[in-house]
Amino acid sequence: MCPVYQSQAYNNAGQPGGVNNVSRPVKPEPLPVPPPALKLGQEGFKKVCRTEEDSPCPFPGLSSGVLEMRVKEGSKIRNLMGFAMARMQGEKGVSGVNSSGGGLRQVVFTGSGRAVTKTITCAEIMKRKVGCLHQLTKLRYKVVKEVWESTEGGTSEMTVHRTVPSISILLSKDPLDPQEPGYQPPETLSALWEEREGTEPATASKRSLGPLQYTSFPDCKRVCLGEGASVLPPH
Amino acid sequence: MRTVFLFQESSSLPYTLRKRLPRKLPKRRNDVYVNMKTDFRAQLARCQKLLEGGGHREICVHGLGLAINRAINIALQLQASSQGALQLAANTSTVELVDDLEPEDPDEAGEPMTRTRNNSAIHIKVFYPDAQ
Repeated sequence: MCPVYQSQAYNNAGQPGGVNNVSRPVKPEPLPVPPPALKLGQEGFKKVCRTEEDSPCPFPGLSSGVLEMRVKEGSKIRNLMGFAMARMQGEKGVSGVNSSGGGLRQVVFTGSGRAVTKTITCAEIMKRKVGCLHQLTKLRYKVVKEVWESTEGGTSEMTVHRTVPSISILLSKDPLDPQEPGYQPPETLSALWEEREGTEPATASKRSLGPLQYTSFPDCKRVCLGEGASVLPPH
Repeated sequence: MRTVFLFQESSSLPYTLRKRLPRKLPKRRNDVYVNMKTDFRAQLARCQKLLEGGGHREICVHGLGLAINRAINIALQLQASSQGALQLAANTSTVELVDDLEPEDPDEAGEPMTRTRNNSAIHIKVFYPDAQ
């Protein structure tokens, strides 16, 4: 229903992610149950598939005509902004940035993992260029399913569920609910800092590295190994 | 420290790029500026101590540039470990950064210059919603 502009420079399969895919003289066969946070690429595994699990829209009650920009790691900002600015400013595009004529009223930028910074940059550029935009920012974890395949001829396959932080930024020409957490009124470019009163000198706090009550760090991977034959249908 | 070559008036001179620290920002007791040098767990533990031991009803986690990801991670981890008691409110902004360009060879006819660029930042308020 929503028009989705997905700018992705390359396939996920060939994406040089955070894992080293260079084949090295490593241990000949992978461990049956690898420990969490294992460097998968060094164990002779290759990422063959990466799917983001569908998550509900973080902005309930959004009209269906909203442009959703999915920012990926390899997206070029000029491509994203060229497309999004043209849609927000209407057909005429060049003339009249703030003209209330054509163009979409709202746009959502979403990105996860290492694309978060780029997502924010896109939203910031759009706020500066269009002006008078109300902003609503939402953060959450997104579950990404990765399928890894052994590169050493075996048929073993692993499915990894990782949680990556993701951000969704709604920019709207129409006013939004200011009570909603994460709302930002227009033109808060510098006011964000000036409203902070009561500057105190930085107190050197001693670091106490006590044991943490939780174990699931976002970088950790939950690994389930298909024994021999592939458990999951190949993609 | 990086050496850059500036192309100006047909002569390229080597310059040393010196990144200035970001603009001084307010620092309350419940402000946490996340960086990429400190251990992730230490920064997370610091936030937890502020919220649990420090008696703060809300803290503000700031991240600039590459540290945005880590700031979001910290905020989401805090929320996850609070069993839904904590809420997040994120704001984004643009921070202007200044780089100094100093000529490497002082004899050469090169003047020190500055260059400004922008970087994105995030400010996440982590709070107990029953505060008000």
